[in-house]
Parts: sequence; structure tokens; C-alpha cells
Amino acid sequence: MATTKVPEVRDITRIERIGAHSHIRGLGLDDALEPRQVSQGLVGQLASRRAAGVILEMIKDGHIAGRAVLIAGQPGTGKTAIAMGIAQSLGPDTPFTAMAGSEIFSLEMSKTESLSQAFRKAIGVRIKEETEIIEGEVVEIQIDRPATGTGAKVGKLTLKTTEMETIYDLGNKMIDSLSKEKVQAGDVITIDKATGKISKLGRSFTRARDYDAMGAQTQFVQCPEGELQKRKEVVHTVSLHEIDVINSRTQGFLALFSGDTGEIKAEVREQINAKVCEWREEGKAEIIPGVLFIDEVHMLDMECFSFLNRALESDLSPVLIMATNRGITRIRGTNYQSPHGIPIDLLDRLLIIATSPYTEKETKQILKIRCEEEDVELSDEAHTVLTRIGMETSLRYAIQLISTAGLVCRKRKGTEVQVEDIKRVYSLFLDEARSSQYMKEYQDSFLFNETQAPTMDTS
Amino acid sequence: MDAVSQRVLEHLTEVEEAAEEVLSSKQQVVELDSRRNRNREALSALRTEDTEKVKVCFGNMFIKLPKLKTREMIQKDQEQLDKEINELRKGLKAKVNRLNELQGKPELRGYSLSPLSTEEIKAINSLFKR
Repeated sequence: MATTKVPEVRDITRIERIGAHSHIRGLGLDDALEPRQVSQGLVGQLASRRAAGVILEMIKDGHIAGRAVLIAGQPGTGKTAIAMGIAQSLGPDTPFTAMAGSEIFSLEMSKTESLSQAFRKAIGVRIKEETEIIEGEVVEIQIDRPATGTGAKVGKLTLKTTEMETIYDLGNKMIDSLSKEKVQAGDVITIDKATGKISKLGRSFTRARDYDAMGAQTQFVQCPEGELQKRKEVVHTVSLHEIDVINSRTQGFLALFSGDTGEIKAEVREQINAKVCEWREEGKAEIIPGVLFIDEVHMLDMECFSFLNRALESDLSPVLIMATNRGITRIRGTNYQSPHGIPIDLLDRLLIIATSPYTEKETKQILKIRCEEEDVELSDEAHTVLTRIGMETSLRYAIQLISTAGLVCRKRKGTEVQVEDIKRVYSLFLDEARSSQYMKEYQDSFLFNETQAPTMDTS
Repeated sequence: MDAVSQRVLEHLTEVEEAAEEVLSSKQQVVELDSRRNRNREALSALRTEDTEKVKVCFGNMFIKLPKLKTREMIQKDQEQLDKEINELRKGLKAKVNRLNELQGKPELRGYSLSPLSTEEIKAINSLFKR
């Protein structure tokens, strides 16, 4: 092969919250972007899934960047699930960064710094590395050492592919690196033409029977095909944030110890931006605007919102997806009320997707999917009971009961969760409504009781 | 044969032709590289040779030629080979692209990017090693 394509390695870390949404594989849309009722772990929410699908297609085509989407809906209506669905369908090449709104409050970093980092994690840069290599199976190495022990060594290296065989004259340096790598006949090696770096790929299959005992780490590979001197192209995808980090490391060794914490200077970012733009103009880099997902976005305060407003206007900006379960509420850090707790000027830029509460049938299906995910067998009656609980309390509470009921069932050595298991965990663990009821009844015996204090605004 | 199968046949022929072109280019690169390696061996053999004239094999005949002239000749051939291989590789990219397009496969990611320079790669090398 003239150009060896090495499969792209995913470089961008995908942060996933394991658990609640681990069953989601995608948005569950067909080719015409029509949502199927139950697919890829998602149930119902047809309108919002379709809307998310349209946005997804635009992201994939690279049509939108620097746009923002808000997923709004009551608690437990699948906002995070839809965002996860988008993340899963984006595929491995588009960077997806997820964070919760409260993650920005840290002592080590200013709020805007952690937002900047999140933004830059969500922008991928695709670059290509091209190297000329000599790749072949070692047929023979012959090294002549001078009798005196000192002086120049000379040698010959015979390499072959399935098509040809040739002899290279070796200089001192090459001989040294060959013996350092412990290369011997039968190894398949590559030599980087520019740097002279030798790497062992493994042992040739034809030599598999040379020795009876071999280390477990010995890898067998096919004898390379085609020409000896190949051109190798590797495409890398890195995030802007990763480039930032290695370039700010030279300034302080602190960053080396603590991974990527610590703030990155604005000048460094500007330099990186300039360099990446230069690369893009020279055709050396492609910019992949990814997705930044901020869950519980109402946790951000006024400063952050104005930062978002500004950051979305940058030409290196990802698609921002936010989720909130708040109605008209106070914007954090101000005394102003605003829908979703988001300032009107930012709200104006958003595409808003609404989710609505699940119906009984949908709740039932979700519970079924979760049971499969958590490996819990549920009897039909128990399933119906659990669905009722889910409808009357909350879906989250019902989902919590699955694994606990599963444990109770295992304890009594049953194979299938029955109604009594559900009843048992239902009596063991209170749901939100029963818990508040309990509070109201026994509030006098609790400490720091303030009956007059206003309740939390979750409207 | 009806119109549909006729069209299918035409399409398949086109795909096969494109694939054949890719394969033949590859084979050509291999042949040129093997010649390049033989030339390289010859050059290093010339370096160790101390006679004034050397025997050079043309087809099935050996001709005695002066060493300097032989080296010059081979070096010229090497340059020509390098150039030809580069041309072929460039052409190969377009051919592979065409084949992918005919087969309805998406274009390879980052396929048409120009590579970073060695210094640039060195600067961000630590990112690739993970």
C-alpha cells in the first residue's frame, strides 16, 4: 500500500455520567429523521427527539457552530437522555463534552476559566502527520566489530517485504539503535527515514516456530506487503484544550503534576488560536466544532451567562446544548426573574426544545429498558405496580427502586422481582412526597426548624 | 437484458475499472521502489569498489564503464524514480477517492489535509503518544 491508513485514535475524552443514562445508544431516529416510539434506549418525547435530530444533522454537516440549544422540561422528562442521545449519535469523531452547571464553582479555577476550558475541550482540530518509513521483515543482520574493540563498526541489514528484498549498509548510529532495540532476524521493524528511529512491530509469523519458549508479550505480525519504503499518513484529532495545556506547561511545572488544572493564560490561547487558524488556511488542519453540554444550566450565574454570550460569538465556538428544569425563576447572582433562570438576551439566541412528562405507557417502557440495563428480572404484576409508583411519585424514584428491589429479591433467593419485593423497598425508602409529608408531621422534633422559611422554588 | 440490469452492469464495470486502476498504480509503485532499492545497493557497492572501471549489466550484456559515470547515471535514475513514485502516490489518492465515491463510501476523514511539518509535529507529539 502506498498510503497506509491507520485507524483514527479517539483522543478526546468523553465524560459520561455512568448510571442513569447508560442505556442510551442514540436518538432512535430512522433515516428520514422520524423518531421511532422505542429505539436506542429512548422512549416517547417524539417531538423533542425529532428537533434534536434536526440539530444533530446540522452539527454533523458542520452547518452550525456557535449556536446554542436549550432543552427545557420538568424534572425526569428525559432532558439529559436526549443530550446523551445526541452525544452517542455524533459518533467518535465529533468532540462531546458534558458538564454540570455546578462544576464551574471551584476554588482552583475561576468560573470563566473552567467555562473556557470546557468550550475548548469541545472543539476538535484534525491534523495529519506524514512520515516516510522503511517497513520490512529482518532477514539478516550482520555486524562487523573491529578486533580492537574501539573504532567504527560496519554492518549490513537485509530487509524484505512480500514483494522484494534489499540490503542496507549500516553506519555506527544505526547499529547502536538496532542493538538497543534488540532487533534480530525475523522481527518486523519500521525505520523512520527522517529521524532514523527504529521500532519493532513484532515477529514475523513465518518465524513463529523458531523458539519453543517465548515471552507472552511477543506479538506475531504478517510480513509487510508492497514496497519497502512507504509513506505513512496518520490523522489525529485533538482538542484545542489539549493543545493549550501542552503549550502552557512550559511556563510552569505545576501543570505537570496536576494534570490539566491550573489556569491557562489568555495569551497562550490567543497564540494557539492564531496558529490553528494559520494551519486551517494552509490546509493543514480542519476544525471540528463539537458539542458542549451544560446540564442544570440554571446553576450558572450572571457572569457566566454574559461569558457564554460572548464566547458563542467567537469563530472557534462549539455548539452549546444546555438543559434546565426550572421555570420562571431568579437568575443566579441577580434579583431578576427570567424564564428558565437564563437572561433574556441569551435566551433570545437559543433554539429551545421542550420535553413533556411521560405517559403511563412510556413510563412502563422506560422501566422495562432500565430493568434490562440493570439486569433485573421483573414479573408482570411488579412491572405494573412499579409503573404506577413511577406515575404517582417520580420516574427517577421508580428507577431507583429497580436495583433495590433486585437486591431484596436476590436476598430471598428469588429469580424474578415480585410485587412484595417492590412493596418492601417502597416501605424502606421514602419518595419525595412521602418524605415531605413526614417532615410536615414531625418538623418540631428536627433541629434548626424554620417553618416560616420560603420553600425552594422549583416551579 | 432490461434497462435496470444494464445500468447495474455499467456501474459495476465502472467500479471494477476504478479498483483496477488503484491496484495497478500500487503495483507500479512497488516495482519502482524495488528498482530504487536495487539502485541504492548498486551505489553503495560502487562506494566500496576501488577499480577504475566497473562492469554494468544492461539487459543481458555486461559493459565496462568508468566508475564516476556509472554513479552519475544511477543517481540520475534515482532522482527520476523518486519523482515518479511521488507522482504515482499523488495520483493514487485521487483514484482511491474516485473509487470510494463510486462505491458510495464517504470520503476518508482528513484525507485531503496537508501534513504538518516535522517541527510542528514535534511540538504536539506528546498528544499522540497516549
